[in-house]
Amino acid sequence: MQFLTWTLGLAAAVVSIPLLLLLYFLKLKRTEQLVSSTLLWKRAIQDLQVNAPFQRLRRNLLLLLQMLTLLAILLALAGPVASLFAAKGQRYVVLIDRSASMNATDVRPSRLAAAKAGARDFIESINTRAFFQLQESGDKVMVVAFDERSKVMCNFTSDKRQLLAAIDAIEPGDGRSKLGEALTVANAFAQSLGDEANNRSPLAPAQVILYSDGRIADVDQIAIAAEGLVFHKIGTSSHNAGLIAMQARRSYENPDEVTVFTTAANYGPQPVACDIRLGLNEDVLSVRTITIPARTAGTDETPDEPGKTAMEFSFLHPGSGVVEVRLLYEDDFDRDDAVWAILTPPRQLSVLLVTEGNPVLESALKACPISRLDRATGSEFDAMDHGILTAEQPYDVIVLDNYVPAEIPKCRYLVFGRPPKGIDVVVPGQLENQMIVDWRSRHAVMKYVNMATLFAAKTYQMILPREAEVLAEFNETAAVSLIQRKGSLFLLAGFDVLDTNWPFEPSFILFFYNALGYLGMQAGAVESRQLGPGDPILLEGLDSYQEVTFESPGISRQKIQVDPNGSVRLANTDKVGVYTLMPDEKNAQAFAVNLLDSQESHIEPAEELVLSGEIVRAESGQSIRAGIPLWPWLVLTALVLVIVEWMVYNSKVRI
Amino acid sequence: MAAAMGTTQRKLSDLLDPGFMARLDALDVLSHKVLKGRLQGERRSKRRGQSVEFADHRPYVAGDDLRFVDWNIYGRLDQLFLKLFLEEQDLTVHLLVDASASVGMPDREKNTYIRKLAAAMGYISLAGNNRVTITLFGDGIVGQVANMRGRAYLPRMAELILNTPTEGTSDFDKACRQAAGSRVGTGVMIVVSDFLFKEGYESGLRRLIGGQYELYAMQTLCPQELEPELAGDLKLVDAEDADSSEITVSAALLKYYKRNVTAYCNGLKDFCVRRGATYVLANTSTSVELMVLNYLRRIQLLR
Repeated sequence: MQFLTWTLGLAAAVVSIPLLLLLYFLKLKRTEQLVSSTLLWKRAIQDLQVNAPFQRLRRNLLLLLQMLTLLAILLALAGPVASLFAAKGQRYVVLIDRSASMNATDVRPSRLAAAKAGARDFIESINTRAFFQLQESGDKVMVVAFDERSKVMCNFTSDKRQLLAAIDAIEPGDGRSKLGEALTVANAFAQSLGDEANNRSPLAPAQVILYSDGRIADVDQIAIAAEGLVFHKIGTSSHNAGLIAMQARRSYENPDEVTVFTTAANYGPQPVACDIRLGLNEDVLSVRTITIPARTAGTDETPDEPGKTAMEFSFLHPGSGVVEVRLLYEDDFDRDDAVWAILTPPRQLSVLLVTEGNPVLESALKACPISRLDRATGSEFDAMDHGILTAEQPYDVIVLDNYVPAEIPKCRYLVFGRPPKGIDVVVPGQLENQMIVDWRSRHAVMKYVNMATLFAAKTYQMILPREAEVLAEFNETAAVSLIQRKGSLFLLAGFDVLDTNWPFEPSFILFFYNALGYLGMQAGAVESRQLGPGDPILLEGLDSYQEVTFESPGISRQKIQVDPNGSVRLANTDKVGVYTLMPDEKNAQAFAVNLLDSQESHIEPAEELVLSGEIVRAESGQSIRAGIPLWPWLVLTALVLVIVEWMVYNSKVRI
Repeated sequence: MAAAMGTTQRKLSDLLDPGFMARLDALDVLSHKVLKGRLQGERRSKRRGQSVEFADHRPYVAGDDLRFVDWNIYGRLDQLFLKLFLEEQDLTVHLLVDASASVGMPDREKNTYIRKLAAAMGYISLAGNNRVTITLFGDGIVGQVANMRGRAYLPRMAELILNTPTEGTSDFDKACRQAAGSRVGTGVMIVVSDFLFKEGYESGLRRLIGGQYELYAMQTLCPQELEPELAGDLKLVDAEDADSSEITVSAALLKYYKRNVTAYCNGLKDFCVRRGATYVLANTSTSVELMVLNYLRRIQLLR
């Protein structure tokens, strides 16, 4: 046994024991009673004292009982604990899992709260340095919160208040749990240089106390001695169904059509029947009832497999929006019940028209939904820095009007007339009076395009490589074809539109619309709007020092300043949900942070941690303590003593 | 005489009610020593007296010796009067009454009782034509009327008894010394007190017992003293010397107290009996009337 605050107890004793003695002599405020003579009373008192030695004992018994009561209270004040761990001055690392699965509510109010409560209990029981005590002999504790990344909440200290404040400051996150980094950090702090510089002997490794549900992704990569780790299991239930995969995609053929693929998984032992709701911009589009089978119990070699149900939703939506898929099912873990995807509108293209002057093409392009149309003559195009064109891709589509450039920067081309060189298309010569004989009306480019009436007075004869896709055919050669070469995509029409009747046909505009849409779809990968928890949001191309409004789940609007490079970087994406960055009111940029992690969705707490080769069993039930506090027993003793004293006193007074 | 009696009785009636006084008229103090009274008349003496000196008349009360009825007066007035002779009343009744502060405690009950008892005894003695001396003592004698005889002295006696305050400490030895010095002749000495003297009653009583006096010690205690009903933590303050003693009332303490009271009373009784004196314990819960008319007659102080 040792005392946590023995000096405090001693100080209290120094004050209170003489006080009690003083009180014992002063305590009775006797009522004055006038009597005829005290003669007989004095004799009676003498008799009492002489004839009844037990009376004296009883008088002393009261004092004795009071002293014992006081002693018990003083001892309780001194905070005795029965030590469970080794010697004084032990060092502990308290690791608290703040990953997504710790948000489960099977332990009220949440697993993280339970873990924090357990850690608080532990902190309360450590042996701290007391008042007036100069040497640092107290236990030292370090608090680390971890999910994918670890965060040192408090370095090694004996200050309970600081430690408790550090524990209170731990916020729940929605990330995965990875213990490796946390342990590395803890070890780095544990072997601080300060101790070695003071010529101290190497410190014993700190005792690691882990509060977690045991769903740790990298548990098999952790090398730590099993006896150095105490694993406190948090959580009881495996009752959870959630979404573990989701993707929203626009169809190639029809960019307006959005298809949402999602997979729901059930980690509980019972099949789950529930509704799944598809929403777009807070409007409900569809609700379906699904049944997710129960998990299949694994064997020793194979882990449990959750029951899975995959489903697919389709809807038409040309614009941007936030797609939300929500599993309407009450379970113990809500972070995986909803996933979001950000729909971006089909791209607004910027187009470069290389022509010597072609009002038909120009007006057709202007009719299409493009954001920028630049014009250049052939010589101007050749004069452009093709390296920049390749690297930065300022144009999504380059329209070549009967011009054969010297070099072809990487881009997507719509070519009218003679095809460019170097794309393995051989042009033997020109043909005249060609009629369309067939076209692939189901291809995205040819959709709704009626080519039947197209007549070309002159066209180039093209011999295409084998993998080229022919979309429309003249009677003697290909009319429209698709070919990929050198990272560029070419949509070739082997005729000059002014040599055809096409500009007068409605299909002309439709073809341009389709062609630009198709080529635009092929333009570089859209920046990722789907993030995992903790992934940073990066938005570039803003004005430097601009104020950007930022909205995140759980936090209201806040303003962020763009850095000098014109980019905004946000790292605090700990929570799942939709994050919105608004450089201005019209241009909201949404980012979806989804859990989508079957490790975290599987909330059933692990009974043991299988470290690299070693197994650490969970300590559940009782909270871990550095020592068992004995003060409640002392207070109880004091109470009993007070009762006994009262009884003794009463028996003395009773007549 | 009638007028004098009227005022006397009014004053005395504060202590004794008239009915009681009427009954007291029938009583007289009896001395067992039947001393060398120059007797003749009411009291038989060992020595036959020669002349009879008339002293007074008093109305006849049932039980009086018919031999002493003054038939001449009866013949004139048709009323029975008794002739009283001086020689016959040579009995001195000396009342030594405690007037210290202690008798005034815990309430006035004990004081009243003592005064009543003294008045009754005084009345009987005066009515019996005895020589009566009443001495009130505290720290020494605080008031005394000596050598009264006859009913004419009733007002003086009443005045003394009623007007002497109850205060001060008691010095029983001193009082006894003074009282013993002041007494003359033979007779009966009656000490009415609570006998709660810190310095002890023995030396004082010893002074009184000698000589021609028959001693009666009437210890007057109230129920509060005999069977105290106290509880709690008390600081008992002595009424006389303000001496205090702190007690925590307990069953054991009360048991010892009662045992002490009994032992104290018995000690006093033993002391008296061994020296030929008579001890009377007067509990104030017994009425004065009962005490005088029954008990004192039974011990043959009165007849």
